Amino acid sequence: MINPAEFLDFLGEKGFSFASGVPCSYFSRMINEFETHQESITYIPATREDEAVGIASGVAFGGSRAFVIMQNSGYATIGDALTSLAQLYKLPMLLVISWRGLEPDRDFPEHSLMGDVTEDTLRGYQVPYWELTDEGWQQTIELALTKMEESSRPVALLVKQGVL
Amino acid sequence: MYGFEIIQELASVLSGNEVIVSSNGNISRQVYHYCPQPQIYLRGSMGLPVSVGLGLALARPETQILIILGDGNLLMGLGSLSTTSYVRPSNLKILILDNGVYATTGLQNTTSGTLNYPALLDGFGLSNIVPILRNDSIEDIKDKIQIWLHSPELSVLPALVDAKAPTLSNIPLHPEEISALQRGSND
Repeated sequence: MINPAEFLDFLGEKGFSFASGVPCSYFSRMINEFETHQESITYIPATREDEAVGIASGVAFGGSRAFVIMQNSGYATIGDALTSLAQLYKLPMLLVISWRGLEPDRDFPEHSLMGDVTEDTLRGYQVPYWELTDEGWQQTIELALTKMEESSRPVALLVKQGVL
Repeated sequence: MYGFEIIQELASVLSGNEVIVSSNGNISRQVYHYCPQPQIYLRGSMGLPVSVGLGLALARPETQILIILGDGNLLMGLGSLSTTSYVRPSNLKILILDNGVYATTGLQNTTSGTLNYPALLDGFGLSNIVPILRNDSIEDIKDKIQIWLHSPELSVLPALVDAKAPTLSNIPLHPEEISALQRGSND
């Protein structure tokens, strides 16, 4: 399991001074850590995931960096925010998406289909993505951020249960 | 009073240091044609102008950020009023031009006719100016714009306006150019 305080420290060192999003139970430890990182990262709780992408877009227009946390169910609601805003205007941001609906999560049927099509929808919307795992997580994030800066567009990390 | 005339009134009193975030369709076109350039002209992302303005206000706390959006956009992203009230950046101002229709797509009715703006905005905990009404005198409209623009805190100005949009050419800038122009002003 990645230490969520170290995760936030790492993103802070990489230049992220803002975060927004809608919670997932997979991220509850990280969200609790925002309190101890208030000096370096301002977290803005959004009412919807597309709103969080809008906030991160405004941050990017202003020359700063934000990451956005959401469930993959929330990812299913941000298509227009990506295609007609963040991708169209070339606004870099990191999407941290929990990967619900996989085998251990099958007693939550509301996530099952989205779990099956998460990678397809990321590819469909042309969002480069990496699965975040305990092993080498810093390198994975660095790869994602290199792509984010090169393309000046959103990139995503997929996070399974128990990783963060 | 038409929405574009409010934008023209606003344009005449801007200092030039503000950044405007305008909502997709007619309003972005009018801001492009009547206000100093460059601004952030949204082309799509219906429902998100308030969110974009909120993020920008946080990233650029020394700059006055003005959001101009219509009733259709407001209703699609109503939750963002709650987020904005919660964060409460003092350098953010919101102007709602409510003409009661989706004017850009052909004047189809929105549902905004039932809204009571002072009650709605009070309910969100948002400081708001007495709405501009369709039969307000030009002096009253100018006064309300000035009070809103120079408010020391987050403030919302609702304006009930008639629906007529002048025929304006499309914004010639590609969205990537709109972003690049903002990057220039961030440096």
